[in-house]
Amino acid sequence: MDCLVCHDTTGKYKKPGPDAGMPAKDIDLKLIAQNVGHSSRATCGACHFNGGGGDAVKHADLSRQLLKPNRSCDIHMGGYDFTCTECHETRNHKIAGRSSSVPVVEGKVTCIQCHSEEPHYCGSVLDHHLNNHAKTLDCNVCHSPVFAKCKPTKTWWDWSKAGDKNRKPKKDKFGQPDYDAKKGEFKWEESVVPDYAWDSGYMKRVFIGDKVDMNSDVINLTEPVGSIHDPASKITPFKIMRAVQAVDADNEYFLIPHLWPRNKQDDTAYWKNFDWEKAFQDGMDAVGLEYSGAFKWKETWMYWRLDHEVMPADMALSCVQCHDSLKGDKTCNRCHQDNRDVDFKKIAHKGTDFSFMKSQGRDVEHLIEKTDYINFKALGYKGDPILHGGRFKKLPMGYEKKE
Amino acid sequence: MIKKIVFFSSLVLLTSGLCRAEVWKAPDQERAKERSKQVVPFIKEYKDDHKIARKMSLMDAGISLNDVQDVYFLMDSPIIKDREDHYGPVRFSHKRHANLAKDCSKCHHFRPKDEAALETTRCSACHQDAFNPEYPERIGLKAAYHQQCIQCHQEQAKGPVDCKGCHLQNVPDHKQLVQLPDNPDPFQVTAECLRCHDAQAEDMLTTAHWLWKGPSPYTTGHGKEVMHGKGTTALNNY
Repeated sequence: MDCLVCHDTTGKYKKPGPDAGMPAKDIDLKLIAQNVGHSSRATCGACHFNGGGGDAVKHADLSRQLLKPNRSCDIHMGGYDFTCTECHETRNHKIAGRSSSVPVVEGKVTCIQCHSEEPHYCGSVLDHHLNNHAKTLDCNVCHSPVFAKCKPTKTWWDWSKAGDKNRKPKKDKFGQPDYDAKKGEFKWEESVVPDYAWDSGYMKRVFIGDKVDMNSDVINLTEPVGSIHDPASKITPFKIMRAVQAVDADNEYFLIPHLWPRNKQDDTAYWKNFDWEKAFQDGMDAVGLEYSGAFKWKETWMYWRLDHEVMPADMALSCVQCHDSLKGDKTCNRCHQDNRDVDFKKIAHKGTDFSFMKSQGRDVEHLIEKTDYINFKALGYKGDPILHGGRFKKLPMGYEKKE
Repeated sequence: MIKKIVFFSSLVLLTSGLCRAEVWKAPDQERAKERSKQVVPFIKEYKDDHKIARKMSLMDAGISLNDVQDVYFLMDSPIIKDREDHYGPVRFSHKRHANLAKDCSKCHHFRPKDEAALETTRCSACHQDAFNPEYPERIGLKAAYHQQCIQCHQEQAKGPVDCKGCHLQNVPDHKQLVQLPDNPDPFQVTAECLRCHDAQAEDMLTTAHWLWKGPSPYTTGHGKEVMHGKGTTALNNY
C-alpha cells in the first residue's frame, strides 16, 4: 500500500511509469513521510490529470492547469482554492464521485449539494427564470459552455492507423502531434462546444465480454440514460471521445490488446512488436476470453460528463446565446409588461464573452454571435422553446400563431 | 517626449500584464478571510423577543434577501481558535442559506437592545467566550455555531451534521511522529504509516482506489453488482 502517493505535500514524490507502482529510487522518502498531509489537487491530479496517457488527454476538464488555475479556467479551484475532496467528500478513504468513464461509485457529487436547487438568488429579475432552467439544464450547460478551455484535449483516437513507424507526426495548431506509431492517429481540440444529451445520472455501458452490434456504425462504450420526457433528466454537456478500436469479428466483443512490454523478452506487446494479432491473443488470454483470430475495426464513442472548469458567473451563457427568438427583441414585452427600469440588453444579451476569450488566445472565433447554442432540435424540441413551448409547459393559448 | 510616453506606457502595459499573470484572488474570498479575523465588541444586552415577534418585526422592517450584502463567510474566528485549533475554516454561503431559510430570524434570533444598533448582527457579537461568568446564560461562539447549524440541518434533513461534513481537520506535524531510518525502503515507510493508521489502512483495502472495482449503482442493468471497474470489466477507447 502506498500512502504517500495521495498524502505527499512536498511535491517531491515520484513514481516512474512502468515500475509496478514503486516510487523512484532517488527521492527522500523519509522527508516526504515527515511532511504528510491532506490530499491536494497535485496528488489527485498526479493520476487524474494524466488519464489516457498524458496531460488533459482523457478528461477534457482536468489538466495540470488546475494546479494553479486562472479564475476563468475554473472558478472553484482558481481563487477559491478548492481542493478535490472539498466536493469529492471522502469517508473512510471512500471518495465520492460519479464518474461517467468508470462504473464504480462511492458516493455522488453534485453542484446542488452546495448550491441548492435554487442556485440563483442574486436579486436579479432573472433569478426566477434561471432557477426554472436549473430544473431542465445541468449547471455546466450555461456555466461551462466550452470544454478543454485551458488546454487542448484528445477528441479522436484511431488505433487502426497505428504501426506506421515511417509516418512522421505533424504538429497541429496547438502544437500537439497528430500521430504516434504506437497509438495511432489523433485529433486534439481546445475550447470545444460540448455534445449535449438528456441525462438522468445513469449510464449504459459496454463491459469486457459484452456482445456488441456489429452492424452499427458507431458503438457507444458509455452513453447517458435520459429522456426529454423524464422530469428528472437534464440537458447535460459531454465530451465524446471518438475512437476506432478492435472488435473480435466472430465473438463480437471488444478486444483488449497487450500494450506495455512486460520485460525485454516480451514478444507480444504491441508497443514493442507492432503485431496486433499477438497483442490481442495475449491481452485476451489475460482477461480470460477467447480470441477468434479475426478482428474488425469499429468506431466507438465514450460520453464523459463535464463537471469541472466552471467559469465565473458573469461568463455564463446568456438568454440570447440559446434563444435566437430573443435576438431581435428590445424588451421583455414578449411575455411581460414593459418596464423602463429593466435593461433587457444587459440581462438577456450579456453572456459568455467569446470575443474576450478569443483575445486571450482561445480557439473560439466561430462562437462569437452564435445562437441556438445547445441545438434545441437535436435535443428533441420543435425549436426554440420560447416559440414552440417547453418540454412540459404549453405556451399561452394562441401564442404559437403570433410568430 | 513621445518616445518617453511610449516607453512608459509600454512599461505600464507590461507590468499590468505581469500582474494579471499572478494568481487571481476572489474578492469575496479575501473579504471573508479579513472578516473571519475580526472580533467585534461584545453585545451585553439583547432584546428578549419571542421568536414569532422577532420574525414578524424583521418581516415588518422589510428586510429581505436583497439586503444580504455579505454573500460568503469563512468561519474561522480567533475567539475559538485562540482556545483550540484543530480545524481549518468552514466555508459558509450566507446568502444561499438566507435564500433557503427565507426567514432571517432563524439565525438572527435576537437583536441588540440598543435601538440604534443594526437589526441583524453577526453571531460573534453576542456569542464569544464560553462560560463567561458575567453572562452565564450566554453560550459561546463554538456552541452557538454548532447548535444553530446542526439543529437546522437535522430539522431540514439537509446539509452536514457530522464533523467532517463542514470541517477539514488539521494534520498534526509528522516530523517527530514519523520514525524512519535514513533512506528507508517503500515498505518500511508503509509499515511506519500503519503503526498508527492501521484502521485507515483497513478502510483503504475496501475502496475502489485499491480494488479497482466496486458498486455500480448508476450503471443500468448492473445496479446491484459490486465487481465492475477498471480492474475487472471496464472498457475504454483511449
